[in-house]
Amino acid sequence: MIAGTLKPSTNGPYTLHTLENGLRIVIERMPDVRSAAAGFLVRTGARDEVPQHAGVSHFLEHMMFKGTKKRSWREITIDFDLMGSSYNAFTSEERTVYYGWVRSSDIARQIELLADMMRSAIPPEEFETEKKVILEEIAMSKDSLDHLTFDFLQEKVFAGHPLAWPILGYHETVAVLSRDTMWRYFQERYAPDNLVLIVAGNVEPNEVIDAARTYCGSWPASGTATRRTPPVMRYGVDVLPVDRFKQQVVALTFPSIGAAHAQIETASALATILGGDNSRFFWNIVQKGLCTRAGAYHLDFTDSGFMILYGVCQPENAEPVLTAIRTEADRICRDGVQPHEVASVKNKRRTSLAVECEAPYHRLGQLMDDMEHRGRPRTVEEMLAEVDAVSVESVSHYLKMCPVNGDGHLTSVGPRNWPAMNQ
Amino acid sequence: MNQFVHEDLPCGIELGVLPLPRRHVVGFQIRVLAGVSAEPPDKLGLASLVEDTLDKGTEKRTGQQLLDAFDAIGAGVNSGTGRETTTFTCTALPEHFEKAVELHAELLRTPTFPQDAFDVNVDLARQEIEGLEDDPQALVDKYISRRAYGPILGRHTLGEKQTLAKITRADALDHWRQNFTAGRMIVSVAGALDPRRAADVFQRHFDGFGSTRRDGRAPISVEFAPGVSHHPKALEQEQIGICFPGVDADHPEFPTQQVILGILSGGMSCRLFTEVREKRGLVYWVAAWQETPRGAGMIFLGASTTPQRCDETFATLLREVDRLSEDIEQTELERAITGIVAQQDTRGDSTRSKCSELANDLFFYGRPVPPEEKTAKITAVTVEMIRAYLAGHPRDRLCVVTLGPRPLSGSPALTRHRGMEVSPQS
Repeated sequence: MIAGTLKPSTNGPYTLHTLENGLRIVIERMPDVRSAAAGFLVRTGARDEVPQHAGVSHFLEHMMFKGTKKRSWREITIDFDLMGSSYNAFTSEERTVYYGWVRSSDIARQIELLADMMRSAIPPEEFETEKKVILEEIAMSKDSLDHLTFDFLQEKVFAGHPLAWPILGYHETVAVLSRDTMWRYFQERYAPDNLVLIVAGNVEPNEVIDAARTYCGSWPASGTATRRTPPVMRYGVDVLPVDRFKQQVVALTFPSIGAAHAQIETASALATILGGDNSRFFWNIVQKGLCTRAGAYHLDFTDSGFMILYGVCQPENAEPVLTAIRTEADRICRDGVQPHEVASVKNKRRTSLAVECEAPYHRLGQLMDDMEHRGRPRTVEEMLAEVDAVSVESVSHYLKMCPVNGDGHLTSVGPRNWPAMNQ
Repeated sequence: MNQFVHEDLPCGIELGVLPLPRRHVVGFQIRVLAGVSAEPPDKLGLASLVEDTLDKGTEKRTGQQLLDAFDAIGAGVNSGTGRETTTFTCTALPEHFEKAVELHAELLRTPTFPQDAFDVNVDLARQEIEGLEDDPQALVDKYISRRAYGPILGRHTLGEKQTLAKITRADALDHWRQNFTAGRMIVSVAGALDPRRAADVFQRHFDGFGSTRRDGRAPISVEFAPGVSHHPKALEQEQIGICFPGVDADHPEFPTQQVILGILSGGMSCRLFTEVREKRGLVYWVAAWQETPRGAGMIFLGASTTPQRCDETFATLLREVDRLSEDIEQTELERAITGIVAQQDTRGDSTRSKCSELANDLFFYGRPVPPEEKTAKITAVTVEMIRAYLAGHPRDRLCVVTLGPRPLSGSPALTRHRGMEVSPQS
């Protein structure tokens, strides 16, 4: 279950409502826009799978477009396109999301269509064809150095934990996955008490609730609880030599805080100061000519988080790039950050929040994050207050709690077998 | 109804403003009419180097001080080099609009091109060219652009290793002096501000910036080279790129072409997604899109698949290109039209999208085009207009590029098209 319980409320800009079957509804009315976005957040993803079925969440996401009792796959796509919807779906470690962004006059039709998809028939006759699509997607991911590196990093850093396998699964697990297995997973994970319907835009909340009641009210609850164990990060060095790439990626991973932690804005600010556009890595690593890309990325889950410091370089530069990353990490842990660095990050964040909050599609994404990680939506003012709370001191406190200057875990992927694993 | 303002400022800038009073941000885009096509043939990569080095130091500030100044007002800035333009985009809160323009004026008017930063950027460009080898889709784009557009517009932004090695700081200064003038600038502004203020601010900060002459607006000739080329590479998948000529953005048949692309690749019910992915499971991604440099138009199709299925994928793609003229249905026409119009409406809720759309209008049409006018042209497209377009623009001269473990076999689909001789591998 998502933490917290929504009580019927129209306080602030939101209307929150829960149907009797447990389906939560979050509506943000945006009267100044002409469009609206709707999405179902399903609290299931790769970390809810068992290893032998790795990839089932993502494969299921594809199958959700393949037919219901009411519509064939062709009719589903035609109905989306008849509204001119900007629609799609994605799967992560912790969630699967389906959404559509339409003119506000079409929002009830959009909700009806998405709701129909949530009761997919997972048509057996489409299963093997779609499996081929997934296997192509897996093959494509292996041609991407970034994708390959990230999958390898997760496999090693989270070894023995469900976060270790890729969201797409493995060729081996997907190739043998049966429709029956998927069907059982679907029944367990797509019950209304594990879903949230989120709508943002120029809509009338009562009309949205009525639509949800009409299209989703009869779905039976499952009462299945999500049980997740936080990962325990593995330290050490792991190297994946891959001859066909020209560049080497080196990445250091350190334990951090989860997405629901009060200091998450501080963690994000630190990542920007270290590895953002106008950052220490940019000036002291990239603009020294050591590599074309160096950055810091905060990978966060609901119960855990990780700071990843990385560089993408020519193979012969792997040592100096790693040394430079460690030097900057040491320096920030030792000396902290400067007030102007914190002010810069906060200013940029304020502007980006203003940009994100003006279009329903982007607002939908923010509300999805909030509902998944916090179990409640935040107002823009609340988000701004969290940004305002970031300070030199909060960064210093964060770095004491989550230092980035230890050994961490080193991942190296590229043509060089470096550091040599027999050392 | 949108109330556009469009004027030529005394300093030489062509300015378009779309006031959106209820928004919380302002976006502006500066297009300098000088892209890779303005490079000397032996100095390919120069335009991008200039763009990368402009913000590495001005007469007043170091590069870091300049970026800090942008950060101090929270401005989101970006820049990029294209075939015909170098573009600078900015999003800021309305109260910081003038400062953001002032800082752009500083970097565009008073760059110092520090030698050390220039040398680093040359080396980084060289590294990026090598890194391009790790990005299969970008590589296909590079190879197919060369064949689609010829030696000028078909240049790659990063240039070539040999030409990069010849570029000096003096070349960068020359390129900047010749091409970075107010007369070559198209500026679009959208968001919460008064248009008069926008005009005043740009006039004040760019007054006296080089020539006011409106250069850089002539179309550049395209040399389309049909044929098939394969680029061997150890990959899991074979990348396929196809292109053929279309019409340019100012052509009367452009709305028809947009609708045709909608039918081919507009949503998941479109032909390519349906035939290549949904029915046959051949690919994860497949798409068709257009590029329209001024005075030219090019249609592209792309997909990637595992090598054993690349012939079938290619044949299916070609069949869809051929089939276009055979059986257009009224219902798919209506879906394509709805998609284009609805997405224009929904994206209109984003200030950045509106700013970018306005910049495109100025670039292609020399004026802001009200959404109602665009909608009217799209909704007027009929099946007959599509048939007429397809009859007038036969798709029998194709350029095909593959990248991956194996070339296409001598597919019968290939030989149906003229000019499909296989080029030597490169």
